[in-house]
Amino acid sequence: MELFRQTNINFLKYKWLAIGASWLLIAVGLFAIFVQKGLKFGIDFAGGTQIAVRFAQRPDLDHIRKILDSANLGDTGIQRYEEPEKNEVLIRVQQQRQEGRDVSHDVQNALRAGLLGPAEDASKLDLNREGRDTLAARLVAADPDHVSGRPDVTPADYYGRIAERIIAHRSETGIFRSAAEFDRLPETSGPVREWLKANSYPGPFVLLSAENVGPQVGADLRKKAVLAVFWSIAGMLAYIAIRFRSLPFGVGAVVALIHDTLITVGLLALFGREFNLVVVAALLTLVGYSVNDTVVVYDRVRENQRTPKKESLESVINRSINQTLSRTVLTSGATMLVVVALFFLGGEVLNTFALTLMIGIIVGTYSSIYVASAIVVIWKDLRGRRKLQVVPAPKPAAPVSPSPASGKKKKSGRR
Amino acid sequence: MSKRVRWRLLLIVLVVAGMIAGYVAMGYANARREWIGSGKPTLTDALKKGVRLGLDLRGGIHLVLQVNTIDAVKAERDDAAEQLQTQAREQGLTLGPAEYPSERSFAIAVTPATDERKLDETVKRYLPDWAVATAGGKWVFTLKDLPLRQMEDNSVSQAVETIRNRIDEFGVAEPLIARQGKDRILVQLPGIDDPKRVKDLIKSTAFLELKLVTGGPSTDRAGLLAPTAGQVPPNLELVEGAVAAGQREPTYYLVQKTAVITGRDLKNARPTQRQLGGNAVSFFLNAAGAEKFAKTTGENVGKQLAIILDHRVKSAPTINERIHDQGEISGSFTPEEANDLALVLRAGALPAGLTYLEERTVGPSLGLDSIKKGVTASIAGALFVFGAVVFYYRLSGLNAVLALILNAVMLLGAMALFGATLTLPGIAGFILTIGMAVDSNVLIFERIREELRAGRAPKTAIDNGFSKAFATIIDTHLTVIISAIFLFQFGTGPVKGFAVTLILGLLISVFTAVFVSHTIFELVYGRRQHIDALSI
Repeated sequence: MELFRQTNINFLKYKWLAIGASWLLIAVGLFAIFVQKGLKFGIDFAGGTQIAVRFAQRPDLDHIRKILDSANLGDTGIQRYEEPEKNEVLIRVQQQRQEGRDVSHDVQNALRAGLLGPAEDASKLDLNREGRDTLAARLVAADPDHVSGRPDVTPADYYGRIAERIIAHRSETGIFRSAAEFDRLPETSGPVREWLKANSYPGPFVLLSAENVGPQVGADLRKKAVLAVFWSIAGMLAYIAIRFRSLPFGVGAVVALIHDTLITVGLLALFGREFNLVVVAALLTLVGYSVNDTVVVYDRVRENQRTPKKESLESVINRSINQTLSRTVLTSGATMLVVVALFFLGGEVLNTFALTLMIGIIVGTYSSIYVASAIVVIWKDLRGRRKLQVVPAPKPAAPVSPSPASGKKKKSGRR
Repeated sequence: MSKRVRWRLLLIVLVVAGMIAGYVAMGYANARREWIGSGKPTLTDALKKGVRLGLDLRGGIHLVLQVNTIDAVKAERDDAAEQLQTQAREQGLTLGPAEYPSERSFAIAVTPATDERKLDETVKRYLPDWAVATAGGKWVFTLKDLPLRQMEDNSVSQAVETIRNRIDEFGVAEPLIARQGKDRILVQLPGIDDPKRVKDLIKSTAFLELKLVTGGPSTDRAGLLAPTAGQVPPNLELVEGAVAAGQREPTYYLVQKTAVITGRDLKNARPTQRQLGGNAVSFFLNAAGAEKFAKTTGENVGKQLAIILDHRVKSAPTINERIHDQGEISGSFTPEEANDLALVLRAGALPAGLTYLEERTVGPSLGLDSIKKGVTASIAGALFVFGAVVFYYRLSGLNAVLALILNAVMLLGAMALFGATLTLPGIAGFILTIGMAVDSNVLIFERIREELRAGRAPKTAIDNGFSKAFATIIDTHLTVIISAIFLFQFGTGPVKGFAVTLILGLLISVFTAVFVSHTIFELVYGRRQHIDALSI
């Protein structure tokens, strides 16, 4: 099967239109960033605390909000997370004034106190909270299976394994919803289950993750992210400069790259997506991907230039784009399939990552034709005109009008 | 089969088999290291453990701590002032009380009666690290720059050592404790499911002092100081104790400034259960400590001895008789608290306080969820890509799919062999590699099609396709690898995992897409004398 059999589309005919469209997209993005709502920084960059918990029962968000308000933590935000039937909630707490406060612990304590009430005995273990070590230590102390006298077992190992299994069971089922579930624990003896029912209870929630980023680390990460993006763009410029030994090609690729990054970041802001470390990872991948796409076209252009035919640069580039079109569409398509799978199935963390790449792949494919290649054509065009002194070099001041400047340039024919 | 193809095939089989063997071997090694209990890890266990999982998939804690080096400097300053006073007293010099204008300096008032020459000798002899300046009847001592830097540096390395000791005693598999920059420490503990406890364990300074009580306990701070006109006498200090039930103010103790023994004199400590119920920590002294302790307790029978932990009185039992080499710290401890206190006492005190700058905890159930989702998405993505490639390129598409599968297998093997860590973004990187590796196949196949269209014979078309696409393939790989290298430089944990996966995957794809695919073509078409058409 073939999608594009020897196509001959005059892509560059529409270059001014495309450049206009690019500027429009960039403007929309910049508007979203600077005027509308700004970049929504995740806690990696903004600092603060983010806690994800899974509740045993469907959580009443208003109640939780009240509990947190009374805990004196400053601004908090609460939202549902993942699929609603999982009872998962994401809690955000703003940056505290001084470093070092254990906010995630304070939040958990406030929630536990607010949801549990005074009914539960403090000496009992919260099985949805405790880890393996504490549970094992308590079991060793209580010794419900009476193994301490036996010569063939070490109580610490024996109960360590039981505790490990209980916690693993919790991880698999997600949470203990009621004490009745203790009866269904696999590979535990009757006495252990009885002991659990008498000395522990299923708490109101399980901690999925807690992240706490102080102001210093947040500032460090911001700086590092900017530097990483900057250096990788510089690296690309160096690579292209060495590989193609041509200024217009290098400038074309790098402008395309900056174009892709700008539009992607702008659209993320427009969609209200959070900007965090994983998104920066996606952006840096994009940097590579964008140049990758451009290089394929450039490679073809050079190859076609080697054949000594009298042909304008624009026509050579057009031919090259057509020759690589099928590859461009297929590769972008295949990568897109993967990214779409990640977007829909990969879960919350990978969702924005996948979206970033989705935008990036589309914009990157487009820019390799309409930004990177178009810049090379325009560049050579302007230089050609200046050399021939036919007309004083016109400034491309009004890039929106597509027709007059585009169609007729046969001057830079040789080379 | 030509000789060339046979060699190529052999090489491919060897490389792939090596990768698989490497994966399994690493899997066994990892499984055995983490194995608890009886029995031996099976092949299934080994297959699960080949690649090390990152904290975000396995669960665990990532901490960045800052060492408050200024604490250590302050302690040194207090020591120096104390020592100067003691030496001066022994030499019969009269000095005024010490003042502390900054963390690294102290000032001592000098009376006209002071023999300044003698004082100067004493300073030169005992305080060589301190610069002296005289100003308005005072001698101001400032810690010199070099010793200051050494002190800060030492306190950070000492803190790293202490934390390592504590973590080792606590028992965590594969902990990472590393110094980061000037005064930061990175701690990564996989598999920890009780963050609060470990955080406290790391952070507690565990500075133990035993001091003789001269006044108190009393909740009346002013009353305690009334005999000395509201001033704390120079050889004594005021220490807070616990807030007793029903009281708002804590109880205060007036104790001697010089400790009888400190945490450094300990030989061992362990949690004990008291006969009356409750938990306590018993400690045992080393020889030097025991000697001091026996002497002091023998001379002070009937007096109270304050047990001070991190500048807070835990308890103040009365000395009933001369005690040799052991004692007990009691208080309202839970069994875990008693256990952890004993642990930190054994592992030693921190030279300075710590502040948590960054903390990331991932619970075990989130890790499991992430793995499930990541793997589902990856399998779906891979199937999409495989389907699309076979649909578009027919039998040649199958060739590409085979190359992609080999790519995935080899990537797992390479990650195991390099000890790379698989993180959640890493899973995304894994599958993204598959998407990008297709690119090489596409570049080659499109070239072959072009060659066919230009009227070349199938075999020539294949060879030309591979050779012409090669330069472009190198270009496309290098661009992504360059940006992945910057990503690696920038990234922390999960993001680094992504970069590593991407780089390894792309390197391998050069081998699979170019070498393996070409060999498969030669294997299929090479034997035939005449080929009518390629299935492409």
